[in-house]
Amino acid sequence: MNKIDLIRLAMKNFLRRKTRSILTILGVIIGTASIVVMLSLGIGMNESFNQQLKSMGSLNVIDVNTYYYPENATGMVQVKETVLDDKAIAKIAAIEGVEAVTPILQTSLKIVSGKYTCYGQIMGIDPKSLEAFDYKVASGRLLTEEDTNSLLFGSQAPYNFYNPRASGGGGGMAFFYGGSSDEKQKPSVDVLNDKLVMTFDMSYGEKKSVGFEDPQENSKPAKLYKVKGVGVLEESQDEKAWSIVMNINYLKKLIKENEKSQALNGIKSSKSQADSYQQAKVKVKDINDVEAIVKKINELGYGTNSLVSIRESYQKQAATMQAVLGGIGAISLLVAALGITNTMIMSIYERTREIGVMKVLGCLLGDIREMFLLEAGIIGFIGGLAGLVFSYGASYVLNKFAGGLFGGGSGGAGTISVIPAWLALAALGFATLVGIISGFMPARRAMKLSALEAIKTE
Amino acid sequence: MENIIELSNLRKVYRIGNEKVVALDNISLDIKKGEFCCLLGTSGSGKSTLLNMMAGLEKPTKGSIRIKGQAVEKMSEKKLAKFRQEHLGFVFQSYNLLPMLNAVENVSMPLTFKGISKSVRDKKSRAMLKAVGLATHEKHKPSQMSGGQQQRVGIARAFVAIPEIVFADEPTGNLDSKTTSEVMTLITRLARENNQTLVIVTHDLGIAKYADRIVHIFDGNIEKIEIINNSGEVSNEEVGSVLHDSDAVPAGV
Repeated sequence: MNKIDLIRLAMKNFLRRKTRSILTILGVIIGTASIVVMLSLGIGMNESFNQQLKSMGSLNVIDVNTYYYPENATGMVQVKETVLDDKAIAKIAAIEGVEAVTPILQTSLKIVSGKYTCYGQIMGIDPKSLEAFDYKVASGRLLTEEDTNSLLFGSQAPYNFYNPRASGGGGGMAFFYGGSSDEKQKPSVDVLNDKLVMTFDMSYGEKKSVGFEDPQENSKPAKLYKVKGVGVLEESQDEKAWSIVMNINYLKKLIKENEKSQALNGIKSSKSQADSYQQAKVKVKDINDVEAIVKKINELGYGTNSLVSIRESYQKQAATMQAVLGGIGAISLLVAALGITNTMIMSIYERTREIGVMKVLGCLLGDIREMFLLEAGIIGFIGGLAGLVFSYGASYVLNKFAGGLFGGGSGGAGTISVIPAWLALAALGFATLVGIISGFMPARRAMKLSALEAIKTE
Repeated sequence: MENIIELSNLRKVYRIGNEKVVALDNISLDIKKGEFCCLLGTSGSGKSTLLNMMAGLEKPTKGSIRIKGQAVEKMSEKKLAKFRQEHLGFVFQSYNLLPMLNAVENVSMPLTFKGISKSVRDKKSRAMLKAVGLATHEKHKPSQMSGGQQQRVGIARAFVAIPEIVFADEPTGNLDSKTTSEVMTLITRLARENNQTLVIVTHDLGIAKYADRIVHIFDGNIEKIEIINNSGEVSNEEVGSVLHDSDAVPAGV
């Protein structure tokens, strides 16, 4: 028989018992919709979690630090400290799949602009890698390799400036929290245009406290560096917001100068702070390689930290959750499958005689089986299709009305149900497959039916 | 003329509980190509069982059935379906039209099973419906037609693919006498037009008169065989002598 004729005949039979077909399809609709909606909830949760993670920082960035706590065979934790220097950075950069590496040098400095002061952690970063690590400016520009005394401010960093002489002393603190409160206040210093001075001397500009013996009273005061702000970063939820970034090479120079002058003042340090870094950041090209690269960096003896590890533990939980949700949906589809089988068996009983006649008239056995499989498949397909339409509707309603209840606060995470295209296609395919599988036993029965017995049936 | 159907020493035993019922025994019969053969017998004589075995719907307990030289009793279900599709047509007592299909679609069924395209088979089916006098009923569903009309659709269906052999099991059993003669004339005419072999099972002697040869079956045995020649005269054959020497006896046509 022609495929077209098979489908035509199957459709005719399907439309013959409208009520029964519709009821059977209803079962498939409920089954498909419950699977799709349940899974869409899981996917929605995953997506909003990923969005939150993204706002916390890039997923394919690994923080490397000098401490590594490998567990040894007895389960004891050993603390190993290694040096993170330029050689180590080169080694990490050589790992396959690494897109960019930058060492991070951090030091505390005081920045003063007029009467305003800011105690800041200055981060020295390789200017080349700024883009790779998602540094984006809201105004001004990023650092270049030629920059020396240029500073890049995080979106919240300018709020750190306060007037130490302001009444109550706490007036400045209001600015400090200004970023997270509802009304945005302008920072007291325009970091891009105002004159800035930076120094290692934390007590610079303060009145000498009376009766307090300053150990460095007679020492040469720390040098003042003129600096200028070149850019302010876009707002973000991560550490970038509060950071002040500088070209690492220039910062190294400053630290060395400072160490030299301190050495003159009698404070000696055994090794220069500028030669080994506290931290490095590694950007990985493909998010799937993160785990492997973390392992390699650990093998070099460095500790690591990445959002991927958080994501993984979450994903494990989410997978369990989705399995449970999907399982609940699957049960209703299983019930629907039984419904299809039942409908097909009923229809074979009713059509026993017809099947017999078709056999006597020379219908091939395979065609009879295919016809019934097709009929069951049609039930599955139509049920799956209608179930999808229903699911999209349910998803829309959930997001529109329930979304505000759960996800309102966590910016952009308002969608609680997401049906990606793959899920829709998979659900449709699965429903059809369930239909065909349910029809398999009845179809076989129809095929095996004795033609003689069948035509004798009145 | 060559034999298209050859039956030899057929025996069919049914087991009902512990009882063995012999439905057919020692049946040997040859049917020639283009012959119209009637199996005549009372209810329970085994005539329908014989027809079913020829169509491969039932397996004999013993003996062989050869159609076009092929051993039907040894064929698998799958092969039988193909064999029926290629060589056999069937007319039923209770018409057995498919209720959800209209007249044209019902007639096209054997062509559909063969995988012939819709345009070709619709053309053939319409011509066939015209030939049985139902040109105006193409779109009618079986439930909208009388018994006689339904049977004519059934006949059109049996002949549309021009099979070499057409089996008919009490084709007029549900019809009144006027319709019966119409249907019988039709079926005979169609079979003659294409030199098709026709085997009809009936208990009605009136119908048997249309045949070239009447095989009387009684209690599972061939009682006697009558040959009807063109002039309508009836002559008896001795059962024993025809069985394996049918060439010696001139068949009708």
